[in-house]
Amino acid sequence: MHATIQKPIHEIVKHIQPGEKVFVVGCNNCAWKCHSGGEDETRMMAKRLSDRGVEVAGFTVPGPQGMSLCKLSHTRKVLMEDYADQVKETDSFLVLGCGQGVHTVIDATDGGMVHPGCDTIFGGETVSDTDIEEFCSLCGECVIEFTGGLCPMTLCAKQLLNGPCGGAENGNCEVDAERPCGWILIYGRLKKLGRLDLLDPYQPPKNHSKWSRPRTLKVSATQATFCSAGERVTVSNQD
Amino acid sequence: MKLTSLFDKGQFVITGEVGPIKGAIHRDKSIEPSCAIEALSLSRHVHAVNVTDNQSAVMRLGSLAASVRLKTNGIEPVYQLTCRDRNRLALQSDLLTAYSLGIDNVLLLTGDHIQLGDHKQAKPVFDLDSVQLIEMAKGLKNGYDISGNNIENNIDMAFGAVVNPNFEPLELQLMKMKKKIDAGAHFFQTQAVYDVKVFENFMNLAQKFNCPVQVGVVILKSPQMGEYMNKNVSGIHVPQKWIDEIGSVAKEDRKKKAAEMTGNFIRDVKSMAQGVHIMPLGWTDVVPDILEQAQIHRSHG
Repeated sequence: MHATIQKPIHEIVKHIQPGEKVFVVGCNNCAWKCHSGGEDETRMMAKRLSDRGVEVAGFTVPGPQGMSLCKLSHTRKVLMEDYADQVKETDSFLVLGCGQGVHTVIDATDGGMVHPGCDTIFGGETVSDTDIEEFCSLCGECVIEFTGGLCPMTLCAKQLLNGPCGGAENGNCEVDAERPCGWILIYGRLKKLGRLDLLDPYQPPKNHSKWSRPRTLKVSATQATFCSAGERVTVSNQD
Repeated sequence: MKLTSLFDKGQFVITGEVGPIKGAIHRDKSIEPSCAIEALSLSRHVHAVNVTDNQSAVMRLGSLAASVRLKTNGIEPVYQLTCRDRNRLALQSDLLTAYSLGIDNVLLLTGDHIQLGDHKQAKPVFDLDSVQLIEMAKGLKNGYDISGNNIENNIDMAFGAVVNPNFEPLELQLMKMKKKIDAGAHFFQTQAVYDVKVFENFMNLAQKFNCPVQVGVVILKSPQMGEYMNKNVSGIHVPQKWIDEIGSVAKEDRKKKAAEMTGNFIRDVKSMAQGVHIMPLGWTDVVPDILEQAQIHRSHG
């Protein structure tokens, strides 16, 4: 899921022009889990804007809980058909969702003006109703086969692939004494699994061309093609 | 002079360390930067002087410019190069530049994280880790870059690396140390150690690698410094005994005390190591007394 956190209200309001009519759009999947753009927060945002003198043309969170704002066809139908009248009167859309959701609204509204209402902070695991934690950096080249499934690109502050730096103290990272050293986590896990041998081989430098943005993925039922600046990889799911 | 030539002869290799100034070298060549003055005072007692690379992620004069200045003054520099601020193009280019400017020794390391320094909003690079950096340097020595392209005029430098004997679990540091040796590291300088037993335990496990190790020491100047390092400098543990001992004497006697304590420590561990790396943090004038106390005299390469 894409973790998001609302921007402070004064930051949101300062980018809205006097007299600008704003339509608030939330997301019923990730932003709902983050309490940054579910139904309650979207309704609340409409009120918070009104209380500050912003003219709110309407608000919606497209679809039932679990439906992502970034599903373009659905968002387009909701905004351009179900809310056609309000959207017609709208100057801009305040999006309570991730950056993908913001772009989905641009596409759904044929190039409407948008305001991001959230900062998109990371892709995370919903560990509990109150905790979302980052375990993957979306780097395009997964290296966790040799680390017991724990990602050094994410859990190590320096993204080291061949073991820890010398900076950990009491098992914690030199960057943040409250955070465990990713490499000590990896070591502990592999030791428990009896697979410390996985750490022995030299790990070559990352292929950062797989990380160069923007990237696309073209999918069908039988194969997928991943495109980045330096790579075009097609993989079958049938052979 | 490559430090490997000294290690190969079985000499006990002594290195010091200076940090480049926060600013540029004066255009008036008669004005030496303080790091060069410190290095000059060290140079009579050590074989070479490390020049740190934006140490603690604090922006300073480049380590290469300062290293070249030392070389010009007849001091053998150990040019430190970290992965924090450079991608693989810059790292290779800087290594080629360093060799072209006469640098013979380079210490290849990861580098402190940007969050520890004075430019916390900067983008951390870490395109390579230190093992990959050494592997890449070996490539330049063997005539090709990291992408496999041939290069003109290979570099020929001694490659140093670092290891932290204080690290828990030590097995993880040893695993990485072995990777560094396999990648092409010629010698190691350790993180500062204050406990003989810690170093002994480390060397018992590391000597099988048969790669020269210089024990690292940071001169403890005051009890406050010990407490500060324990709180803020990652990877170093100053035992309370050291803090109490340096605090037991008046401020004006601390240089003498520091020389005695550091010298005694080096004396106790020197038989286990192939050299010592002294980080004086400005107290370069104490280094001769430390070496005297440790009963070490610089041999001439």
